[in-house]
Amino acid sequence: MSSSLLNTVDIDATLQQQSPKEIITYALAEFSHIALSFSGAEDVVLIDMAHRIDPNIEVFCLDTGRLHPETYQYIEQVRNHYKIDIDILSPDSETVRNLVQRKGLYSFLTDNHQECCGIRKITPLRNKLLEVDAWITGQRKDQSPGTRASIPIIQEDKAFARANETLTKFNPLANWTSQQVWDYIRINDIPYNSLHDKGYTSIGCEPCTRPTGPGQHEREGRWWWEESTKKECGLHSTNVDK
Amino acid sequence: MHITLVKKILADGSPCKKCADVIGKLEASNQMQYIDKIVTADERDSNSEGLKLAEKHSVGRAPFFLVEQEDKPAVIYTVYFKFVKEVLDGKTNEADEIKEIMNDNPDLDFI
Repeated sequence: MSSSLLNTVDIDATLQQQSPKEIITYALAEFSHIALSFSGAEDVVLIDMAHRIDPNIEVFCLDTGRLHPETYQYIEQVRNHYKIDIDILSPDSETVRNLVQRKGLYSFLTDNHQECCGIRKITPLRNKLLEVDAWITGQRKDQSPGTRASIPIIQEDKAFARANETLTKFNPLANWTSQQVWDYIRINDIPYNSLHDKGYTSIGCEPCTRPTGPGQHEREGRWWWEESTKKECGLHSTNVDK
Repeated sequence: MHITLVKKILADGSPCKKCADVIGKLEASNQMQYIDKIVTADERDSNSEGLKLAEKHSVGRAPFFLVEQEDKPAVIYTVYFKFVKEVLDGKTNEADEIKEIMNDNPDLDFI
């Protein structure tokens, strides 16, 4: 089916009631050109679920060039465990070279992390998404009450869609908690990133990730030197008459 | 082709900063001439035209552009640089595009 025929709002209401596995089943049935984004962390549960449905599921991973050695080893472990190809996406070398020549290897400590993330992660992600009609992420509401509290199960991704086409984004774990994810990992004996045993909850690039202590939110382990800024681009739709 | 720009007024009555930024860019590049209509999504007024359009097209943020063409489904653009590149055939800078996408999607860098 062409995703342009999907009414994502109506479908979301239905998918909100379904389990992650049911959501992935729906996504894979609906789209043939679909890929799963794997961060090298606990979103491995998506690979496990999808692989049970379709062993040929397309998986990609954003290699920023600054990941922990443990994460690289883990990605390889997942590749071997599931016997799948993982498309490792690298940033454009000339763009990275230009950034480093202009600002050095740790520009994110003095500017902010966005320029570096934009070059090393978001641009390769955008290029990858030009190849597909839909993608699957491990985003969860409990990861960030500020920015992810209202993420839907299915949405039209207007930022990364090809010109005059649509791109559909699935967040099957949106309603799951960290505890549910880890229960699934333990029960199914799924390999996980060894950094989790060292206190890391949210795993990103090595210079920008640190372990978190008891009571700290997982996001406190990322870009902790930056002051969080409030974003205000959303429309408060509660004001709209239903 | 008919292009509508939907800008936002926040619940406290203040104007949306990004909307002002986008309008400033359109004016500076002499592209405001291509905008046929500007409407407001006023968070204080559930009947404001912009909020109605946002609801109709399932858009959760502003500003956005509604591009309508005869015999074609309406297309929504929430990313200014994407709109400029794809609709106005304007030249854009990739770094600016990515920066806008990241600003509008603050959780993307956690992917």
